[in-house]
Amino acid sequence: MSVNTWLVLLLPSISLCAALAIFAMPEHWHGLRRTLNLAAALAKLALVGWIGWQVALGEVFEVRFALAAGVHFILRADSLALLFLGLSSLLWLLTTVYAIGYLEDSPNRSRFFGFFSLCVCSTTGIALAGNLFSFLLFYELLTLATYPLVVHRGTRRALRAGRSYLLYTLGGGALLLLGTAWLQVLLGDLPFSRGGSLAAAPASLRPTLTVIFALLVGGLAVKTALVPLHGWLPQAMVAPAPVSALLHAVAVVKAGAFGIVRVVYDLYGIDFADSLELLAPLTWLAAATILYGSLRALMQTDLKRRLAYSTVSQVSYIVLGVSLFGPIGTVGGLVHLIHQGLMKVTLFFCAGNYAETLGLHRVDELDGAGRRMPLTSLAFSIAALGMIGLPPTAGFISKWYLGLGALEAGADWVVGVLVLSGLLNTGYFLPLIYRLWFLPQAGPWPDERRLGRGETSAWLLLPALCTGAATLGAGLLAGMPYSPLDWAQLVIQREQAP
Amino acid sequence: MNPVWLCPTLPLLLAALYLWPRLRPWLHWLTPWAALPALLLALLAPQAEWHAPWLLLGASWGLTELTRPFLAFTALIWFCAGLYALGYLPRHDQRLQRFYLAWLLTLAGNLILILARDVASFYSGFALMTFAAYGLIVHSGSAEALRAGRVYLGMAVLGEGLLLGGLLLACGEAAEPQLAALPGAITGAQRPGLILALLIGGFGIKAGLPLLHLWLPLAHPVAPTPASAVLSGSMIKAGLLGWLQCLPLGEPGFTGWGGLMLAAGLFGAFGAALVGMAQERPKAVLAYSSISQMGLMTILLGAALLVPGQWPTLAAAIVLYTVHHGLAKGALFLGVGVAERLGRRQPHAVWMGVLWPALALAGLPFTSGAVAKAAMKTGLHVEAAHLAPWWEMLPLLLSFGALATTLLMLRFFWLLRRDFAEQPASSWLLGGWVLAVLASAGGIWWLPLMAQSVRWPDMDIAAAVASLWPIFLALGLAAVARLLRLRMPSIPAGDVLLPLQSAGRALAAGARRLAAGLPGLERRSARSLLRLQEGLFRLAARTRLWEALWLREGALACGVLLLLLILALRLG
Repeated sequence: MSVNTWLVLLLPSISLCAALAIFAMPEHWHGLRRTLNLAAALAKLALVGWIGWQVALGEVFEVRFALAAGVHFILRADSLALLFLGLSSLLWLLTTVYAIGYLEDSPNRSRFFGFFSLCVCSTTGIALAGNLFSFLLFYELLTLATYPLVVHRGTRRALRAGRSYLLYTLGGGALLLLGTAWLQVLLGDLPFSRGGSLAAAPASLRPTLTVIFALLVGGLAVKTALVPLHGWLPQAMVAPAPVSALLHAVAVVKAGAFGIVRVVYDLYGIDFADSLELLAPLTWLAAATILYGSLRALMQTDLKRRLAYSTVSQVSYIVLGVSLFGPIGTVGGLVHLIHQGLMKVTLFFCAGNYAETLGLHRVDELDGAGRRMPLTSLAFSIAALGMIGLPPTAGFISKWYLGLGALEAGADWVVGVLVLSGLLNTGYFLPLIYRLWFLPQAGPWPDERRLGRGETSAWLLLPALCTGAATLGAGLLAGMPYSPLDWAQLVIQREQAP
Repeated sequence: MNPVWLCPTLPLLLAALYLWPRLRPWLHWLTPWAALPALLLALLAPQAEWHAPWLLLGASWGLTELTRPFLAFTALIWFCAGLYALGYLPRHDQRLQRFYLAWLLTLAGNLILILARDVASFYSGFALMTFAAYGLIVHSGSAEALRAGRVYLGMAVLGEGLLLGGLLLACGEAAEPQLAALPGAITGAQRPGLILALLIGGFGIKAGLPLLHLWLPLAHPVAPTPASAVLSGSMIKAGLLGWLQCLPLGEPGFTGWGGLMLAAGLFGAFGAALVGMAQERPKAVLAYSSISQMGLMTILLGAALLVPGQWPTLAAAIVLYTVHHGLAKGALFLGVGVAERLGRRQPHAVWMGVLWPALALAGLPFTSGAVAKAAMKTGLHVEAAHLAPWWEMLPLLLSFGALATTLLMLRFFWLLRRDFAEQPASSWLLGGWVLAVLASAGGIWWLPLMAQSVRWPDMDIAAAVASLWPIFLALGLAAVARLLRLRMPSIPAGDVLLPLQSAGRALAAGARRLAAGLPGLERRSARSLLRLQEGLFRLAARTRLWEALWLREGALACGVLLLLLILALRLG
């Protein structure tokens, strides 16, 4: 086996080893656990950076072995995998830093960080999976690894949310399993490949393949939180802030969206999916979710619930982009995979900062918090403006490409959906910014704590500032090489290359 | 170092310095000068171009024949108003830093949108200016200012949405996302009507198109005076600039839209003048005057769509008129603060300074207004009666427009003499104002040097004298009204906003009732799902599988997981 093969295997192994080591560690070894966590996250980020550079140069990274007759375990680092990997490894590092600050002096930290690492391991596997079977393995592992994180606090509400989460995702997983097994029986083990591997299927199978597509996407739609399968997501926001950040930005919802990208592009192939007339229903579903999520977000008074419904809406932008037939729309969808991650993780970091430092949970408690916590509020404002899609933030780039992609695909009405969604987003994000900066503080903060020397502890503040700056940078410097936009274009370029 | 990118970056850099608390008390001294490089660029740089493929979606900034005069007068107003602000705002105000921060960001946005040649930069600048200006409007923090801010923000958000839609649709047809490519793209588009409607509406909110103007008369009186000056002097011109750059002016085939714009412009020009005369506050009168003047420019745009052949002449007239109005209105607004501070006993020279821009607006011979109005008439002097039946009436209507403007200015002076409370006026304030008045009196004479396509209209003494009749008629009417002690009825600023708002409230109540049903629907579906779930879990609880799985945590779970995987493999 070549060096490249080992490097691919090393990617999920770093997180897995970190997880196992942390599980084995006694609860009170805080220093060592912290060092191990950060070292693993940094090592992984460096490795992903190096592999990404090599992939851009055209190097191939793949490992493949047979598990049973006709079933392969494939990990492959292609440009699309790197898109997701880059996001997850960067945000893993930042979320780890944040979680260290957030969970200071709280019990069960070994359990938390162990599952946290396991969760990242499965995300890595999802990114790298080279066929539907490997994808399914890591996808289910992700479900199981995130459950303990959701119920971490152990309260009744948390347990309820956890049960609901399990019910939804295991149900989705079952659908996915059914689709995978059916496809395996019909056509054997199909690796993800450029342009899809189903186009050559006999014409008689086309109705069956349509049903299988519905099963696969239906299964993935649960984690993607497409309406009407989104019910678990707003409940799951009872989890601690770093978990919500990870859940909403990288791990769970993105795994679903990424799966849909893989199924549409690398399994069915966009041309074949289009010829089966599967894309239009997906566009409708995504558009409905975008508007419904925004409408519900508008009605929420709890900050984290509002953010959760906003995720329902925003993640569907990715599905929308993928379902638009044509390269520009797909670039918009893929780049939003990164952009939404950066923006949403910032918002959850900041929401956590407000809750931890001042005890703010509801929207109407935010009045005047900008003066007390200016840097957190700055990051929050940038990310919220990004969510609205205002230039020059990252959200604008996504929206621009999605709009142009919709026109290219002949779905002009989608531009209307984007504009309407932008107006709704403004409706629920602008009042927050207004409260932060323009209203005076209404009374004493509900539960103020002095964390660190600045406005809050540096562990909590720095990650939010980094992702806030990245939100601005990804938009402002979208034309730079290796920007998310540049990489998404590379993915599409390779996808279309003969 | 390329001066093009430096101009908008300088205010942004200054804004970034506010992150250091120690510098904050000193930064406002630097604020006015942030507009100066842009002024120098517009006046001195023979050509200005900057390309940055790494910025946004590939930025290209620069100056064209059209945008150079815009940059010049915009930077000039910002500079004068910035100096003025140093003396206008109380030195030890807590909110001062927020005001200057908003000031710098708004300025940067305004400069970027003028310099931008590509659509993404243009839209970025437009959005930055729009949203940052909110901080200027609500500065005083009074309930009235907050209401004006809400209306402004609501309409601005709507405008941004319309613009995004319009620009996207236009760019979808264009070969490249450059502003210069948009008019051609709209001409060749499948549905040019939709794009035009979105763009005219989106920019129209900023430019104060009738019925989209509601924020203007609310925001101007409550904003601090220097902010009103830049708002009316330069920011509403951004909407006009958007129209000029994006609409297919000079292309045949849009006569319907031309007629519509013409009608909207006429309605705005006269309607706003009438409502303005019923205002109680000098700055509200000036705001309505701005709407009225923008109406005149809308008439010219409509004429350009109606008679594409006249576009070059009309374009020159619009540029002249914009520069004239921007500088005059800026000086007038700044004059309000001067009059308030010096009171009734101010020297005649000061009154002359306040008066001059108003006379220019009325179109007195040898002022910038006379030049602009003459250019306007030249532009409209073409045989087009077959296109619009009332085309022949336009010159007469424009004269009546001058009459209305003069009456509006008289009303303004009447109110200005009434309300005063003497305060000391700092030399910064006076300096900024004097500079603005000088710019208004002399600035327009520079224009042909800057933009070669702008030619002086032919003016002769007879025509100049003939153009005086509206002014004299207005003076006569005002004298009669004074003699008869006629009182103007009072119309609240924002005119149709109040009825619209109560209608809106009723609508919102209905929507809320509708929306209240939505969670119920979701709760019901969630409840049935939950019941299913309860059943499943009762089943699971009996086998105690879940507890075994999850209560032991960590390593155990991993082990079980591996087992499951192996099991799955066997099955597969």
